[in-house]
Amino acid sequence: MHSWRNNSATGTLVGLPRGYRLVGLTQIDNLSAGMTLANDVLDRTGRLLLGAGVELSQKHLIVLRTWGIMEVDIVGVEDDDQGSHLPAEIMHEQLDAAMATLAPLFRNSDTQHPVMRELLRLAALRKATHGLP
Amino acid sequence: MASPEHAPITLERLVEQTRTIYSLPYFYERFNEAINHPRSSIADIAKIIIEDQGLTARILKLANSPMFGYHTKVDSITKAVTIIGTQQLRDLAFAASAMGVFKGIPEELMNMAFFWRHSIACGIIARNLATSLRESNVERFFVAGILHDVGQLIMCAAIPDTVGELLALSRSRQEQYHHTERDLLGFDHADLGGALLQAWKLPANIFEPVACHHAPRAAAQFPLEAAIVHLAEIICQAFEFGASGEWCVSPLEPAAWERLGMPVNILATILKQSEPQIGETFDILMEGQ
Repeated sequence: MHSWRNNSATGTLVGLPRGYRLVGLTQIDNLSAGMTLANDVLDRTGRLLLGAGVELSQKHLIVLRTWGIMEVDIVGVEDDDQGSHLPAEIMHEQLDAAMATLAPLFRNSDTQHPVMRELLRLAALRKATHGLP
Repeated sequence: MASPEHAPITLERLVEQTRTIYSLPYFYERFNEAINHPRSSIADIAKIIIEDQGLTARILKLANSPMFGYHTKVDSITKAVTIIGTQQLRDLAFAASAMGVFKGIPEELMNMAFFWRHSIACGIIARNLATSLRESNVERFFVAGILHDVGQLIMCAAIPDTVGELLALSRSRQEQYHHTERDLLGFDHADLGGALLQAWKLPANIFEPVACHHAPRAAAQFPLEAAIVHLAEIICQAFEFGASGEWCVSPLEPAAWERLGMPVNILATILKQSEPQIGETFDILMEGQ
């Protein structure tokens, strides 16, 4: 299996105080032109696609997507954790109601497993957001 | 089981019976012959697809939709052969013909629009999961996903009364549909779909994941493909993209997930990416069917 982050590469970056380097794993959908790569982006065979320190252009964003890259390390941001925050407009009651509606669908699933827990959470979020029955 | 259908129901009999009703799309065998013939030119290969105008139109629409991410505009089949590659084009063409192959299924047993939406969604999600793993030649995931439940269709056509009983029984027992099938018939729709595709001489990287989509641990040759189709179907069921004979989300095999080595938060990205593609691809493939 290939590694998702190339932690070995610590590209030297100019302009940051010595010893200080805030790096965040950022999903492809949250990238924008002008962000700087903190680590090398490799394909599964280990070939270098884009090097640490590259400032992303609009074209890079399209190319990353084409290569199937889902997330990269970006300088100066924190990990975007999609899990912990609810969109402001969704009330907890709506989410609970959606969870209850979904219970029969997930009755044969082990919702203690992280994947099934995440799928249930996303399905409930989707129902609550779109007002689905 | 008390069944109104006469002879005992066996997997072999169903495959034989199906082969007298349904056949591979016309282009498929000729396309394979052309690929394997040392003196075929790109034009020879393209000609086989071009003869089917509807198929040509669907392939070009698919190849130019954003999910395919081919940078050059694919405006002819000849160009598709060079850009997409012959085997990938064959897989894509098969995916684009599957709905035409299995026609005339009794609608009172299964809603075909729901069934194909479930199947297409599974194909797209499998393809996106494979892309995120940086797999190459991802069209085989697309076609395996689209065909994964084809065994259910075969049964609807060949033994409709039995399918009606199975569907009702799995719901009254509150168990997975494929468990009910296996309990009463000794095999399930995954085994059957895989066996038909194998009899049709589709490549093993397609028929094995279809055969093992409920038991990816049984895949001897293509465990990654089987694990991806297994997970893709579970994702489709969780988000209620279409529907098939299964009435609830199938249990996840934890080893299949571990094989993929993906972080859990990628599921949100896959969902966001796949949902718009499902509607678009469904429209392209259902057009004129």
